[in-house]
Amino acid sequence: MQIFWITLSAALAISIPALATAWAQSRIGPAAAASLAEKPELSATVIVMLAIPETMSILGFVVAMFIMLRAGG
Amino acid sequence: MIRAMRRVRVMGPRRALEGTLRVLQDLGSMHLASPPRLPALNPSPTTRREQRLVRQLRGLVADAETARTLLDLPQSSVTAPPPEPASWASWARQARQPRRRAEELRDRRQRLEEERALLGKYREMLAAFSGLFEAGHLPAAVRAYHIVLRPGQASVVEPLRQALAEVLDSAFELRTRTLSGGDTALLLLVPLPRTARVERLLGESGVQEVPLPAGYERATATEALPRMRARLETLPTLLDEVEAGRKAEAAVAAEALPPILAAAQDAVTRLEAVGHAASTRTAFVIEGWVPTPDLPALGEALRQRIGPEITVEELPPGPDVDAPVVLHNPRLFRPFQLLVEMLPLPTYGSIDPTPFVAVFFPVFFGLMLGDIGYGVVMLGLGVLLHRRSRPGAPLHAVAQIALVCSVFTIIFGVLFGELFGDAGRRLFGLHPLVLDREEPKDIVSFLVLCVGIGGVHVLLGLVLGVFNAMHGHRRQALGRGLSAVMILLIVVALLAAVKLLPAQLLTPAVVALLVAFPVLVIAEGIVAPVELLATIGSILSYARIMALGTASVMLAVVANRLAGAIGSVVVGAIFALLFHLVNFALGLFSPTVHALRLHYVEFFGRFYSPGGVRYRPFTHWRTH
Repeated sequence: MQIFWITLSAALAISIPALATAWAQSRIGPAAAASLAEKPELSATVIVMLAIPETMSILGFVVAMFIMLRAGG
Repeated sequence: MIRAMRRVRVMGPRRALEGTLRVLQDLGSMHLASPPRLPALNPSPTTRREQRLVRQLRGLVADAETARTLLDLPQSSVTAPPPEPASWASWARQARQPRRRAEELRDRRQRLEEERALLGKYREMLAAFSGLFEAGHLPAAVRAYHIVLRPGQASVVEPLRQALAEVLDSAFELRTRTLSGGDTALLLLVPLPRTARVERLLGESGVQEVPLPAGYERATATEALPRMRARLETLPTLLDEVEAGRKAEAAVAAEALPPILAAAQDAVTRLEAVGHAASTRTAFVIEGWVPTPDLPALGEALRQRIGPEITVEELPPGPDVDAPVVLHNPRLFRPFQLLVEMLPLPTYGSIDPTPFVAVFFPVFFGLMLGDIGYGVVMLGLGVLLHRRSRPGAPLHAVAQIALVCSVFTIIFGVLFGELFGDAGRRLFGLHPLVLDREEPKDIVSFLVLCVGIGGVHVLLGLVLGVFNAMHGHRRQALGRGLSAVMILLIVVALLAAVKLLPAQLLTPAVVALLVAFPVLVIAEGIVAPVELLATIGSILSYARIMALGTASVMLAVVANRLAGAIGSVVVGAIFALLFHLVNFALGLFSPTVHALRLHYVEFFGRFYSPGGVRYRPFTHWRTH
């Protein structure tokens, strides 16, 4: 039973931030595309803006990894 | 590094202004500044003749550019500045004629393509209703409406039929057929006297009649269909003729247009440069910025070509706030300028981060992708792109960056013992030399390594920030320096706490932190603690290198296992290959974006001061 909860915890640790990232990027993407159409020189800012929400997923991934590693998985 | 600039003032008799501008344009090294504001100097006025000439030349440029676009010619350039013509009028004609011919060809092609689309649609429609017309010609007292409804519009048919029945009783014929593309063809026959009411009904229903092509208005299907078929057969030949005409026109224009365009652009630039000069009744003054190495050549050329009456004076260095910025780095680092120039340029006198980007970007990329197989594929693609791109073009710089990154990917691939994931270990007995990214205990070491590299990178940014702020922002410099020291103290305290450093260091490190904290608040204000926390967050952000690296190797391992898991060897190999292809595409994109983000946000955020003015020398138009 314990393995079920550990696996579920790891899955939630990555999936909830991933959903949050997806939601944030769904908002940023169209705005970024519109901005780039008018000002192509903003490409670097757009890259940064798109990469910022990915931090949530990445940290979620790190936490999930640690949950699995601590559990000996 | 940012190239050193000298502010210079060029002075001479007013009659020599045009000649001086020609020499400056030929040299192509001076970035013109705003007209100097000195007593007795006024902005040099442009005469009405010059204003008229500028308008004429701009028209010429617009004609040439339109012709170039319509004829599908590549961006024009010339090897050397062309001589100016005796009369601009004949050159303006030479630019106007290809533009007009190109527009005629474009219009003709559009008409033919529209006709082809319309005939195709009607041929299908008439074929669908041909049975209705078999009896003979359409009666003279009947009006036929041909309507094509898009797939989503078919629901209007029944309401339209009911509305027609109310108005016309049974004095109408409404037939529908579904066409091959999903459209619905609708044929409506009504008595001629009732057409006004019917057209109003059609308008209310939101459907529009597609007019029959010219010449087929009163024809029956039996008459129209063979004619339409014959016309459709001739249309491709006519379109080919138009395309051949465009190609012939393009071949002529490709030779004739670039020198005309170059001469006109040069003349416009020179006439506009007159606005940067200030003058008295007899003399003129131009000020601007010249890269330090080019300064002697400027004075020499003006003296030789104009005469000793032209003087070039170097102005004393001031605050240099409006000095233009041009990045100039050793050849090895130069491609990475592209990544820095994606942001607004750094201000003059600040630090150019290109050398640091050139060192850290490939390392971060290699750490994330770290695979011999992917590195070799990337190397191949980089070589291909390098050969296909023109030296100096952004794509060439991208290829050079890709080559450096691929080398680091191979190096880290060797250190991690990865060749297409674990395929190297299984097939060739490859072993990791430093870290095994598949081993749980090594994943933690990899994380510590990445955060450690992040610490070094962010600390380097803080140190650069101290150097940047030392010119005039002493308090800020002190704050940045203290932040760097405090980060070091926190690291020492943490390492001492977990006994990786002698435990005796813990107390002095904590005491030093407690002393440094109020000094930091005094130097940088109440936001300083928040900044410090943000800096620690920035260091932790480098954990993404480990996360992306681990994700990359895991995907590669899954791809390899897929090959063995599927019963058929061939199908398994194809699946594995596709999976590796996806992983490789992700492996190119994600590390690039995240390495850029680590630089732009975490590293540049500590020292970079954007807002530099781009160096735009007064020169000839697009010569190579």
